[in-house]
Amino acid sequence: MSFPLILPDILLIVLGVLVLALDLARVRSSIVWNVSWIGVAAILGLLNLIPAGWDRSWFGGNWNLTNFGLLMREFFLVSALCVLFLSRGIFTRGEEGFAPLKYKAEFIASILFVTFGSITLVSSQDLLTLFVGLELATIPLYFLVAWNKRNPRGSEAATKYVLLGSTSTATMLFGISYLYGFAGSLRFHEIALAVSQDTSSPLLWIAVLFLISGIGFKLTLFPFHTWAPDVYDGAPTPVTAFLSVSSKATAISFLLVMLYGPLAAIHVQLQPLLMLLAAATMTIGNFGALKQVRLRRFMAWSSIAQAGYILAALTGPGDMAKSAVVFYLFTYAFSNYLVFFLISVVGGAKREQTFASLAGLTKQKPWLGAALAISLFSLAGIPPVAGFVGKFMLFASAAKGGHFAFLAFVGLNTVVGLYCYLQVIKAGWVDDADEETLAAQNNIVLSGVDKIAITVLTILVLVAGIAPWLGNNITAILQYGP
Amino acid sequence: MSIDAILLNATWVLPLLTVLLVVPVARSNPFAIKMIHAGSALLNVFISAFLTWKIYVLSMAQGIPAGNKPILNFVTDIPWMSMLNIRFITGADSLSILMVFLTSIVIFTGILATWKIEKQDKEFFALAQILGAGVFGVFVAYDLVTFFIFYELEALAMYLMIANWGTGRKDYAGKKLTLMLMLGSAAILVGILGLYYVGGIDSFDIRKLADIHLPMSFQMWAFPLTFIGFAISASLFPFHTWSPDGHSSAPTAVSMLAAGVMMKMGTYGCLRVSMYLMPEGAHFWMPWIVILVTFNILFAAFIAIRHRDLKYITAYSSIGHLGLIFLGFSALSFIGLKGGAMQMISHGFLTALFFSTIGMIYSRTHTRNIDEMGGIMKSAPFLGVGFVIAGFAGLGLPGLSGFVAEATIFIGAFQNDSTLMRIVTVLAILGVTTTAVYVLRAANTMLHGPITNHHFEHLPPATLPEKITVVLLVACLLGMGLFPGWISSMLDTSLTPIFVNLSR
Repeated sequence: MSFPLILPDILLIVLGVLVLALDLARVRSSIVWNVSWIGVAAILGLLNLIPAGWDRSWFGGNWNLTNFGLLMREFFLVSALCVLFLSRGIFTRGEEGFAPLKYKAEFIASILFVTFGSITLVSSQDLLTLFVGLELATIPLYFLVAWNKRNPRGSEAATKYVLLGSTSTATMLFGISYLYGFAGSLRFHEIALAVSQDTSSPLLWIAVLFLISGIGFKLTLFPFHTWAPDVYDGAPTPVTAFLSVSSKATAISFLLVMLYGPLAAIHVQLQPLLMLLAAATMTIGNFGALKQVRLRRFMAWSSIAQAGYILAALTGPGDMAKSAVVFYLFTYAFSNYLVFFLISVVGGAKREQTFASLAGLTKQKPWLGAALAISLFSLAGIPPVAGFVGKFMLFASAAKGGHFAFLAFVGLNTVVGLYCYLQVIKAGWVDDADEETLAAQNNIVLSGVDKIAITVLTILVLVAGIAPWLGNNITAILQYGP
Repeated sequence: MSIDAILLNATWVLPLLTVLLVVPVARSNPFAIKMIHAGSALLNVFISAFLTWKIYVLSMAQGIPAGNKPILNFVTDIPWMSMLNIRFITGADSLSILMVFLTSIVIFTGILATWKIEKQDKEFFALAQILGAGVFGVFVAYDLVTFFIFYELEALAMYLMIANWGTGRKDYAGKKLTLMLMLGSAAILVGILGLYYVGGIDSFDIRKLADIHLPMSFQMWAFPLTFIGFAISASLFPFHTWSPDGHSSAPTAVSMLAAGVMMKMGTYGCLRVSMYLMPEGAHFWMPWIVILVTFNILFAAFIAIRHRDLKYITAYSSIGHLGLIFLGFSALSFIGLKGGAMQMISHGFLTALFFSTIGMIYSRTHTRNIDEMGGIMKSAPFLGVGFVIAGFAGLGLPGLSGFVAEATIFIGAFQNDSTLMRIVTVLAILGVTTTAVYVLRAANTMLHGPITNHHFEHLPPATLPEKITVVLLVACLLGMGLFPGWISSMLDTSLTPIFVNLSR
């Protein structure tokens, strides 16, 4: 009876292997691509058939399906689907003057494995599975970042990412081992029990600080954010998008799982630290974005700021924080992927991905200009687009914790953030283009996939916030429990 | 939902539908685009006029409410977002519907006044309609989140319109305006969340929140936060700096919308949210706010004297007039509230007339500097007269709407017998006299005397859209100035609940 519930998880890993096998059998790469996205979409459909309210575990309690886990599974699969569509461009037309990339099947399989790793993380009930999931969601990213071998920026990015990533993994493991030493168990519920009995043990606090530093790297929290601009700029556009959405969501799930699970007893004591980290992260992100000229670099700083906003929600009580974060992640994913689709389209083939390459966009391609404005207003949190409602819920979570002064600071940050996003909108709407740029923009050819994806994402960004289905479904699912 | 409720929601749905409707129209056919937009705006004028008449009849029949519950007509109340029990609540009392009527007129005339937009008219009118939809929504929303979503819609459209179609330092002005308004919105957002959680009734419904007594410790910080947040968009000193730059760089329709109705959203929010829901906070903080208001009225008038750019003069005059609205509010007397509300409506019409005539004159003379102009009255008498009427209404000439509103405000302000309020009122009356100085000087230099520049000898006469704009707005100014009674008795029914809360 309960077997069908983990079928989607199993099918995902089967799909990853299938993609590699098809490639070995020398099947045309376009067929492999079609198989992969249809597969992911089918698994997503299967997941939607699972009714809410299940709390089942398998494999001796190591693999769990909670309501939160169900929602995050859907989120990671939506994100994977977007990346698959986004990655089509770099294998057909290339970007920023580089030839189209190779090894499509391996690329797709890596994406699927990362997604499986994220799903492992949200299914875990003990620290070991949690760690395995986190690593599975990180290691394929090391080589995804370096996929474009010819790009010197890419090599630098990959080196940086591997070195800093492994350091953070070590830090995390250190923290996990201390936590094990403190609680005498890897199981969440036993750790939770131990933590509630002794909330002030130095051993516990050392463990917690190391855990937060470890995850801070993946979530680009201040002061562990410095790798992000270089890596985001060097990686191929789909990988950058994937880093900024799925990878970040994995890290946030990690924090949600830990803070409202095993560490729930010290959540109140941790709140000042979380607020400090959130405030510093969003400030540094917004001010870092001020002076950027390259679009992917800009998006790196923007995503740092967004991480700060998401972290702000974790200062509230668990039920509100979970629904707010899940809802926000969806709206954030829609807006972010839309921006990256536009970057990839405008900066494809022979064009640079800079602010200057956006100039005159609205006059040449009004629809792309409109999509650009909508996506960036969403990231800035201007109603009625999705990002606003998402942010509203995040802030409501912090308000439920009673942190109004902190919220006022967050509010100030959104003003700085809006300035940064207006800079990009200005590039697309106001700046006059020279003839070269104009010619380049006239040459923008959208493939059918691009058109469909951009249209669908734009509509989603427009209505996902104000049409109640997304938020209300999340609320309805989470009301059955964690 | 009754037919009337559907009509009320149509005021903000119609502009958005028009945007979709215009999408398939070819760019090469700007006339069709403009006609569709103007047609929909005109339809909206009729809808709001009909609803205003209906509410007038209803409110005369219902009489003045006894408690602090507003008489809300045409209510739509449906669940929206279950996460925080956010509901979509719209409805109208007398104040709301009068503001809706004002908005519909300003948007209609705004579209007519920008008839000759040079580039990308499709996008321009689409954004103007989106902005309009937001303003309509603000005035009919009775759920704080619904209200806020409509309120923030302005930020989306404003920057794009000013930066793209403006003049002068348009990018700077657009950013300054948008960011300062965003700052206000951020403050309001914190206040709204506070009302929800500290209120503790799991509701954003303004009507329900008005019933609970929020703790004083909360009102102490939440009242100034939300009040200043709203007041930023109503250009309260020292948060007024976006307004002169923004108005002067914006294209005509945007100036009209911004000064005519968008700034009123701020004062409306101050009244409906801050003062209505947190009356104890209002009593504590108003003496401090009154000091800011004094700066508003006096400084703005004296700065306006020094400026030579017509749009700057009008922008500063707007700041002064908005200060009068705040003066009426901060007196915390019933007459004061009423005067403030009347000034909101009156100033909406007169500033729309101001900016539209300035836009028309500018499109002919290509200068807004009054020193470079002279004798315009001889070559373009129609526009000259329109400008003079707007000026007279602004300086409070009896017979026009400005007099009615300002007189009511001063009477209301004098009813508050604190010494501070008395001093401020006397100073404010001085400020109004100063208004006469700059309005008459500007009109005199620009319109009369010899024609200084031979280019001005043969200015093209007013076109039909321009004539409609001016005539419509002058009619509204005169209508309100000569027959203020019905507006006044309408406002009684919707201001009483607010006043009851303020004196609890």
